[in-house]
Amino acid sequence: MKVAKIKVKDNIEKTVLSFLRETIDKKLFDAILIPMMVPAGDSYAWVLAQDKSLLDGAYYLPPIMSVQGAKALSSVTKGGKVNKRVAAIMRPCEIRAAIELSKLNQIELENIFLISMDCPGALPLKDWLKDPKRGVDVFKKVIQHFVDEEPKPDKSVRPACAICHRFSDSDAVDLHIGILGTEGEDILFIPHSTQAEAIFAELGLSLNENLSRWQKGVDEVLKQRKKKRAQVQEELKSTVVGFDKLLDTFSNCINCHICQSVCPICYCRQCYFDSDKVKHPPDDYLMRAESKGNISLLPDKILFHLGRMSHMALSCVGCGACEDACPMSIKVAQIFSLIADRSQGLFNYIAGKSIEEPLPMRVYEDDEFHEVESP
Amino acid sequence: MSSVLKLSRSAEEGLRELLKFLLEKKRVKAVFTLCKIKKNGTVSYSLITDADMLKDALPLFPLMPQNAGKLLSRLTLKEHLAEPIAAVVRPCELRAFIELVKREQGSLENFIFISTTCPGTYPLEMSVNGDISKKLPEYEEDVKKGNVISDTRPICKACEHFMPYSADMTVALIGEKDIDKNCEIFLNTEKAEKLIEGMDGELVERELETEEVKNLRSKRQEEKRKLFEEINVEGLGLSGLVETFGRCIGCHGCSRVCPICYCVLCDFDSRDYENEPSTYESELKKRGGVRVPPNTVLYHLGRLTHVSVSCVGCGMCTDVCPADIPLSTIFLKVGEEVQKIFNYIPGKDVEEAIPLNKFEKDEFTEVED
Amino acid sequence: MKDEFKPRIIGFLCNWCSYAGADLAGTSRLQYPPSLLPIRVMCSSRVDPLFVISAFLRGADAVLIAGCHPGDCHYQEGNYYARRRFACVRKVFETLGMESDRLRLSWISASEGPRFANVITEYTEKIKKMGPNPAKKNIFL
Repeated sequence: MKVAKIKVKDNIEKTVLSFLRETIDKKLFDAILIPMMVPAGDSYAWVLAQDKSLLDGAYYLPPIMSVQGAKALSSVTKGGKVNKRVAAIMRPCEIRAAIELSKLNQIELENIFLISMDCPGALPLKDWLKDPKRGVDVFKKVIQHFVDEEPKPDKSVRPACAICHRFSDSDAVDLHIGILGTEGEDILFIPHSTQAEAIFAELGLSLNENLSRWQKGVDEVLKQRKKKRAQVQEELKSTVVGFDKLLDTFSNCINCHICQSVCPICYCRQCYFDSDKVKHPPDDYLMRAESKGNISLLPDKILFHLGRMSHMALSCVGCGACEDACPMSIKVAQIFSLIADRSQGLFNYIAGKSIEEPLPMRVYEDDEFHEVESP
Repeated sequence: MSSVLKLSRSAEEGLRELLKFLLEKKRVKAVFTLCKIKKNGTVSYSLITDADMLKDALPLFPLMPQNAGKLLSRLTLKEHLAEPIAAVVRPCELRAFIELVKREQGSLENFIFISTTCPGTYPLEMSVNGDISKKLPEYEEDVKKGNVISDTRPICKACEHFMPYSADMTVALIGEKDIDKNCEIFLNTEKAEKLIEGMDGELVERELETEEVKNLRSKRQEEKRKLFEEINVEGLGLSGLVETFGRCIGCHGCSRVCPICYCVLCDFDSRDYENEPSTYESELKKRGGVRVPPNTVLYHLGRLTHVSVSCVGCGMCTDVCPADIPLSTIFLKVGEEVQKIFNYIPGKDVEEAIPLNKFEKDEFTEVED
Repeated sequence: MKDEFKPRIIGFLCNWCSYAGADLAGTSRLQYPPSLLPIRVMCSSRVDPLFVISAFLRGADAVLIAGCHPGDCHYQEGNYYARRRFACVRKVFETLGMESDRLRLSWISASEGPRFANVITEYTEKIKKMGPNPAKKNIFL
């Protein structure tokens, strides 16, 4: 594999941005979809930026994931392909969600150039909002620990990020930005498409074959994250597996359905669980109350979560948006990761890994899954 | 003066006993109230038909996991109740339900509303950490003294409508010195008086509006003034709105938990607000850049114009907002100003039409040019 | 020379009175500034507050709602409801410290061609003095 290695000037963030600026200068892209700091300085919002000067307020890797990037890309391309060449720079989980959404016809990838990066994770929204200024510093440390020659896990990232083992997956992107194992001195621009290579040529970037430091960093973080993932999932099993425990876990749920509305995969304009189908005459509720003596309202909290799980677990990319936004701090993302690993494993499918791989529920083979049939 | 049923046990136990009596005597089919759901002390609204299950009921627990008005609407959206249900709700929840009934999203028929003089509730966040039970002794002391209770939600501290307008029964809490020994239930309607016939307890006559209640009202007004000052709602302007709503993550959780936002499909989740790429292209031409997804400020301003006339200031929006936007303060302020021009208190009286559904021929000439 | 600010006003005109009034102004060859972008609605009460806010946030310098005079509504009472809604949306603007003068409600009948021209002329002048809508260039809306 050949990569372009760029020396970091000032910091990684600025170096990446100056690369992006150059692509606009050279008219390689018409616009860039990138997070920008909002006017109050307390969050980041996706902006489709055409004006180069806007990039001054942009962050290719913001400390938080306020809106899942795939949702932003879907908003731009749901109606069809854009007539501009757009570069979208997103975290790997956002890219994976975008790939899933494109399979679900919610994103049109034509004319979109996808860029991802080695992602250290994001800070929990709740922690961040308590003190955004401090959050910026905390996140700087997170990156430092991440790119270190001997990377160290950082406790300040979101639980979903701490167990993410696809922080550097880049199969479906055009360009991947490698920062691992570089001590923050270099940035590796790793091309994954001919288009990316053409852009390198246009920018006069020379290619280089030395990836060993980066690969070492990736392997080390992967080892740590996998270990953590196994450990967290093991612990979770003891608290959520089994019907009573599951009920208990979700009994805090207040039916706000924010987990669903921030989920990039839950793209339905109107969720079944908000539709008329779940609205019943009073006798229905009363009968159910009478059969148990007492029902919690609304009933079917667990149906909602299990239903959502069955609808999207095969495409769940483990981005953690649900858990980050849950007002009751239910461990939604961690629970979903447990389910997603197993259900995707069943079909040997990794959500969002490749655009060519069809959604498991859209294909079948004549001779398979006999083990689920009863004789 | 109203007639009052006095039970010599704590307010919560007394209320539980009343509910038990109503269920056992089959005067109601079911009881709607907060109920303990977990060992850690979290509560959920529940529908209880078995009197024995009332032991888990925590009708006065200072938490609002959902606005009960929304739930009662869900119960009676399709049909009205065929048999009576006693519902223990907070004043703002009752007002929300009445606003929903005016919008044909529920029916008051066969409900018996039991409410309280409401001391306020703690933020949802606190229930996550399981801290509320520890707070209860302190809470009770403040209730007795008629204080503004520290650490309760800012919107509760600033709430003036803490006396229920249309409850059948009201449990007196605020400023009642011995709520740990006595439960005083005000019987506001004939229906209430009939329902408690045969129940042990003393019937007395007294006023609900005590000095303590009046004091608390003025203390809360002061709190409200401070709250508005803090956000400086009237000084926001467009740039202030962009700053305040800038961190919105677009989850629309505020509308999902808002009792007044009853639409099956919100306009902002509908196809009308899905953009064609060409819309983005024209925005880029105009501004050089565009927020994605767009319409953040439009969403909040739109919701303000749609719900402000009926906003009861229940505070659910702020409670669930993942971005900590002080929504309820802004909604309360705008709501109050809008309601003032129509001389309307949402949820006060079910007979009073929603201001936007009626008109006078000779009014508001000052807005014409 | 600096470009002179030419206000863009979005006008929601009721089909039966104000739109006809605009037509009359045109056929009578009355002069008024080309600042109005008219949108025909069947009644002033068809205008959801969202239309108004939407136009405003998308960069309209002002939004005009025009309908039949009170008592003359083609649908008997639509404009009375419109007036209440307008009062509400204006109050929201005022309470949030936004320029409520950028919103206007006027009654213009089908026979009032000159009044239509006057309203547009006068309102355009007023908006010119206020300057462009600050929402126009904001990318974070």
